[in-house]
Amino acid sequence: MVRSELNKRGPLRVFENSIHGGLGKGHIGVLASKKGVGKTACLVHIATDKLFRDRHVIHVSFSQKVDHIINWYEDIFKEIAKKRNLENAVDIHDEIIKNRVIMNFNSQGTTINQVVRSLKAMMTDGNFKADSIIVDGYNISDISQDDFNKLKTFIKKENIELWFSVSLVGENPVFNKMGIPEDLENRIDDLDVLITLKYEGNHVSLQVIKDHDVLEPKDMTLKLDPKTMLIVRNQ
Amino acid sequence: MKTDISKMRNIGISAHIDSGKTTLTERILFYCKRIHSIHEVRGKDGVGATMDSMELEKERGITIASAATSVNWKGYDINIIDTPGHVDFTIEVERALRVLDGAVLVLCSVAGVQSQSITVDRQMKRYNVPRIAFVNKCDRTGADPVKVKNQLIEKLGHNAVMIQLPIGLEDKHEGIIDLVTMKAVYFRGPDGEDIEITEIPENLLEDAKEKHEEMLDAVSMFSDELMEAMMEENVTEDLIHDAIRKGTLSQELTPVCLGSAYKNKGVQTLLDATTRYLPDPTEIKNIALDLDNNEKEVLLESTEDKPNVALAFKLEDGQYGQLTYIRVYQGIIKKGSELYNTRSRRKFKVGRLIKMHSDHMEDITEANHGDIAALFGVDCASGDTFVQNGLNYSMTSMFVPAPVISLSIEPKDKKSADNMAKALNRFSKEDPTFRTFVDPESNQTIIQGMGELHLEVYVERMKREYAAEVEIGKPQVAYREAISTMAEFNYTHKKQSGGSGQYGRVAGFIEPLHEGDYEFVNKIKGGSIPTEYIPACDKGFKSSLAKGTLIGFPIVGVKVTINDGQSHSVDSSDMAFQIAAAGAFKDAYKRAKPIILEPIMKVAIEGPTEFQGNIFGSINQRRGIIISSADEGTFSSVDAEVPLSEMFGFSTTLRSLTQGKAEFSMEFLKYGKVPKGISEELIADYEEKQKKNAGK
Repeated sequence: MVRSELNKRGPLRVFENSIHGGLGKGHIGVLASKKGVGKTACLVHIATDKLFRDRHVIHVSFSQKVDHIINWYEDIFKEIAKKRNLENAVDIHDEIIKNRVIMNFNSQGTTINQVVRSLKAMMTDGNFKADSIIVDGYNISDISQDDFNKLKTFIKKENIELWFSVSLVGENPVFNKMGIPEDLENRIDDLDVLITLKYEGNHVSLQVIKDHDVLEPKDMTLKLDPKTMLIVRNQ
Repeated sequence: MKTDISKMRNIGISAHIDSGKTTLTERILFYCKRIHSIHEVRGKDGVGATMDSMELEKERGITIASAATSVNWKGYDINIIDTPGHVDFTIEVERALRVLDGAVLVLCSVAGVQSQSITVDRQMKRYNVPRIAFVNKCDRTGADPVKVKNQLIEKLGHNAVMIQLPIGLEDKHEGIIDLVTMKAVYFRGPDGEDIEITEIPENLLEDAKEKHEEMLDAVSMFSDELMEAMMEENVTEDLIHDAIRKGTLSQELTPVCLGSAYKNKGVQTLLDATTRYLPDPTEIKNIALDLDNNEKEVLLESTEDKPNVALAFKLEDGQYGQLTYIRVYQGIIKKGSELYNTRSRRKFKVGRLIKMHSDHMEDITEANHGDIAALFGVDCASGDTFVQNGLNYSMTSMFVPAPVISLSIEPKDKKSADNMAKALNRFSKEDPTFRTFVDPESNQTIIQGMGELHLEVYVERMKREYAAEVEIGKPQVAYREAISTMAEFNYTHKKQSGGSGQYGRVAGFIEPLHEGDYEFVNKIKGGSIPTEYIPACDKGFKSSLAKGTLIGFPIVGVKVTINDGQSHSVDSSDMAFQIAAAGAFKDAYKRAKPIILEPIMKVAIEGPTEFQGNIFGSINQRRGIIISSADEGTFSSVDAEVPLSEMFGFSTTLRSLTQGKAEFSMEFLKYGKVPKGISEELIADYEEKQKKNAGK
């Protein structure tokens, strides 16, 4: 399969169609689940899909080692290339990783303002024209309303779409009747898109809880393939 | 006197520049009673530390050459191989690592694990060198040995365990707590030579007990006896030492010592740890390659009754001629005996055999297996293997990377010209990554190496050690040419007018090859080219790769397939087919969309977070790609890929951008395609040069 064809069809198009064509620039989306369900894999797949379409992505992580994140990208790329039988995979890989930067923060208690400061430095001084930012593993309920507003202004001004992953507390997180996790109830108005990941039988399925103006739980007909950790259609 | 091999240690002290390695070495020499006063590296008294034998190193406060020094500590013979900390001298580091049995990784208690420590550590891992860590400079403001230990775990993946605790830090650093013996150790007297062992101060006891337990838990993994003793509550010091030793030798444990070499604290305890935990030569597996048996691996035995096998790992020009440092792996080398150099295939007699103490030497009559010694007046190159009794071994061939940068040099006068020739001859023998040749086109002498600093140091050495004043040209990157698409050829070489004729036709195609530089495939069926001429075709194609037509650099990554051709019963010859192949390649190359490749360096920069933006900017301005950045509070690091051609003068730029607070390291990563605009410039420059040469 050639790259353009891969971009035209596939589970990520289903993903976007179920949230009105995608998160969209200037908007904030959240992927939420309890720990160890596959949020990082989902985010990396979303980011890799952007890279395949020549978008620029900054991946913000709070891991001990950057290598760990790079390995996620390598694995997801390999799985996609294998599954879709991608032509010229080596060349495409080398080309698209130029459009990806990983920014790792491993000091404890990094504030969102510090993260934004570094992002600004990367985008202005580093001249990196980011289209999407992925923030994996930051507790957004720690962000004050004031700081969250600043963050919203920043991504609107820079015309960026921003995905957060949020780890829900506990083994059995509580969801309200609208499907909103309790941990995120106070933040829901600030978010444009909220997607939850849940075990259903032996697989993890994706559900839209908030789709821009629509607040109504909806199955995305997508799941995580437990072997490859890719987002795939749930047939 | 017979040497007890179990009491022999070959160790390297490896570290980042400025973590105090040279000072530490100096103190070690002092406490081992071989030198009589202590000198500072930057020479307040103008004498300089003993290990830094080269002028240049004295001036820069860094150590470039790996001189070997022998000392004795409590009945143990320790050979210290001083390894350079700068990445530009990688081959020197790697060759030193080859002969080490263990190493002390010196880290600064303030700066911690820095980019170059990571590189050096990776090399040690590659050569399976067991390590102990020494957290130095505990007297400095901001000293935090626990942070450094954690960085060893996080950044280098070591199972680092503190076996000592500091008594006071910064200006209150007084001594250490030995977590094995659970005693306090103070270093008294003007030079810290009087050791006082007392009970642990009351205020530190609680913490020491806790850390003692932690240490026991970690090291008991390596000894069932210790684990049993812990359960029965009769743990002895020997059991703990034994467990730490086992863990260290298996490279699954890194004991962490600490102190301040400058303030004479913790050096003797480090020496104790070195002799206790690092291996003796018989505990290390050394492999040689049998040249008579298809380079089959042979395990060497560290015993005296086996024939000699030794490796020349370092050459030095001394006052009395060439000095060759050797590591003996097998047998005993005796003065007056005969050895055979397996590379040059020449026999030679062992004349003077010596042991080196920095710049002073001691004559010896024999060098034992496992030991390090030096020979006088042996004509050889570093990396050569010396054997005896008909063996034909070579020590594991070391990976020698191809040079990525070259520089033209021109002597300023006649005297300099002679000296320059001597110096170049010496340097290329010492360092396989340093090469030199005369460019037949420009008639200039070219030197090649692994980086700007690498070559700069040699130019400086020429001036200082050989009194050769040279003018240097602009650094030149080692570009490559390659093809980007398949192209067919069908070429006839014909010269049949008068005399003996020439005739050959070759047909086929060339295509890009992703792995390797060149491949030749013969798909001729029915003998359209007779088999006897096929090697000539191969040779013709191969010779065409030496110089591309775009900018005159070698062509890499080409697969040639021939599938048709024609010969003439009288006029065909090897020569005719070689010319035909070369012609065919030249013709097809143009149509195979040739491109220019340039060396891309992996660059790691670190500095205070306040300069993050400047660092990002400096990479962006150099066509670099930022792969990742890591923010650790006040300190940040950036990993990037940057073309070598853009890295000239980077150290100066970085210094001015960050008030000298950031530093970087770089190493060759891969060859990458040159962007179109720059490629056009390079081609235009080359054509211009060609025209000029033609006009001459």
